[in-house]
Amino acid sequence: MEGGLIEIGLGLKAGLLGIGAGFAVGLAAIGTGYAQGRIGSAGIGALTEKPELLGRVILLVAIPETLVILGFAVAAMIIILLGG
Amino acid sequence: MLETMAKLHIIGHQSELDETLAVLHGLRSVHLIDVSDDATVPLPPLAVDEQHLQRIEDLRYLRARLGSVLALIPNLPEPDISIPEMTETNLDRMRGELNELAPRVEQLVRHIDDLTREQETLPRHVASLTKLLPLVPGLAQLHGYGTAVLLVESRHSSVLGELNVQLTEKLAGNFEIISDHVDTNTVGAVLVYPRDHSEEVASLLGREAISRVRLPRQYETMSFREAISAMKTRLADLPEEIASSQRELDVLVAAHADWAAVGSYLEQHLDQLGAIRHLGATAHTFVISGWVPERAADEIEKVVAARVGEKVIVERASVEEGEVPPVLMHNPAPARPFEFLVRLLAIPRYGSVDPTLLMGLFVPLFFGIMLGDVIYGAILLGLAVTASRYLRNRPSALRDLSRVFVLSASWAILWGVVYGEYLGDLGHRLVGIEPIWINREEALEPLLLFSLAIGAGHVTLGLLLGVWQSLKFHRRHETLERLMLLLTLGALFTLAAIAADFLPRSLVTPSFAAIVVATVVLMVLGGGMGLVMAPLEIIGLVGNVLSYLRIAALGVASVYLARVANELGAAAPLWLGILIASLFHALNLALGAFSPTVQALRLHYVEFFSKFYDEGGDEFRPFGGLDNRVAST
Repeated sequence: MEGGLIEIGLGLKAGLLGIGAGFAVGLAAIGTGYAQGRIGSAGIGALTEKPELLGRVILLVAIPETLVILGFAVAAMIIILLGG
Repeated sequence: MLETMAKLHIIGHQSELDETLAVLHGLRSVHLIDVSDDATVPLPPLAVDEQHLQRIEDLRYLRARLGSVLALIPNLPEPDISIPEMTETNLDRMRGELNELAPRVEQLVRHIDDLTREQETLPRHVASLTKLLPLVPGLAQLHGYGTAVLLVESRHSSVLGELNVQLTEKLAGNFEIISDHVDTNTVGAVLVYPRDHSEEVASLLGREAISRVRLPRQYETMSFREAISAMKTRLADLPEEIASSQRELDVLVAAHADWAAVGSYLEQHLDQLGAIRHLGATAHTFVISGWVPERAADEIEKVVAARVGEKVIVERASVEEGEVPPVLMHNPAPARPFEFLVRLLAIPRYGSVDPTLLMGLFVPLFFGIMLGDVIYGAILLGLAVTASRYLRNRPSALRDLSRVFVLSASWAILWGVVYGEYLGDLGHRLVGIEPIWINREEALEPLLLFSLAIGAGHVTLGLLLGVWQSLKFHRRHETLERLMLLLTLGALFTLAAIAADFLPRSLVTPSFAAIVVATVVLMVLGGGMGLVMAPLEIIGLVGNVLSYLRIAALGVASVYLARVANELGAAAPLWLGILIASLFHALNLALGAFSPTVQALRLHYVEFFSKFYDEGGDEFRPFGGLDNRVAST
């Protein structure tokens, strides 16, 4: 098993770092998606009553995206700082 | 920038009221204030008598009647607003004309619609019947029998068997049903039954999942062959009949080309009659109170004096405490499309910072940094310029958006040159184009630091604007709060610079001390909740800056998607490869146009505006509608 990893040029460390970075972005994206789904459906309901709220609804839907951006930041740190 | 407003009182003899209102309506620069809301006009509202209300009702009815007729006539000439004033006699003539001619116009338009529809549907009937004709060669001679043409989807053709069973039961076998495929998906069937049983057959067909071809009434009693022949004759006659009705309609409309102008006059006159309830009055005089843009006040004064005369005077009124003027944005032409993006969130408060210019600078810049591809940018620029030209004379959110995209796409081209991206790495693969600054595929670290630097600068700018605005409105509490946030941000930047060995370690203690001081002050300012809210506010501030990492994240996603398109294209044979790559690039372009726009807006609405934006203004709505001259000069 170890020999196989060496053959393709990746160490176990690199693989685990990759998995960790993937989890950091992936789990954050699931959280963001869940929050955006809830906010988005409520927002569409509000827009049917008051179309002038479009700007606010975009704003509210966009707020949870910070989560996935933070996930991206963590993933980037894992790769840059630990993967070095 | 937001226009500075002046308050005017227009005072005159009641005999000049109509003329004054007409002049103000034409100027389209006065936002009327209801006198009951204006403490500086201690007068009762102008009394509105029964006759006045009756006239409003009459004109509204006339406008609605005229509107319903005008809606039926496309391509009516543009109204000429400068038509002579409509006197009562003219309006009576108008009423008479409408009563006499409107029914004829409505009838003609309806008739033309019916004929056009007939022209569209008859060929379909001819086609269906022609296909079914070979099924029933002998039917043409049957009399006393009715026929029903049925179409059934092939997968539901078993329903015809069920129909056969039920008809046998009801008509005791006195019928014939013949069916065959008319095309691959449809089975056509002809049912022949005694006319005496029409109702039973109709009710039975209504219950089944069958679509019955309903021929126009005049062909129902004919045999198939006769019907086809009659329909063909009718189709040959229809163009002339439509043209003849259209000619008659054109003659009628040409004789009454002033209807659209009268419609405009009615709108204007109803506006003026409606405005009267906002005015104050004494026994013989009236007072109009209104907001006007400061730069237009002198001109309004001159125009009223010149056109109404000395019986009406215009004077500047004092603005009482608590009175808030309406908001009119006034920005240079290139930034004006961004006003719509500011309004999308909320109208700024009068006297506060108008962020339109800053949005005009930063939204396209952020978009360009995120997309950063010469070819994508050029395609978007082409589309945006075309859309902008097409919508040039149609003020709308779409036109503004197309202009926003013109600027954004230009920045994307510029940043594409900086990153050396031409359809991702295709430029490098084909002709070896190198980036001027960094290759986004490889240099993630500098890209992240660049995004954070943009965030730090943008958030700091927001806080500085917030401090300036708080000072302007004398909000000491808010000023101190924003200063403390600035101090915290400065200390955090210093610590980051120390960590990167750009500043000496001796600054660590002062930096931490600054953060502690700022936190304590924020806690004190926050009162009871300050203990919890102050640390949260500082964490939020750091989150705001980190949020700008999306600029790097979207950029990396865009460049990797482009690379995937190129790799897949290269793996396939030449033409197939070009097709696959084009499809993926088209997808990436669609994402590249949408995501950076939304993210750039979000960075403004959430991270930037939250530091200074003061919303809650009342939009400037001038009497007579917003004049482009007021908005643009």
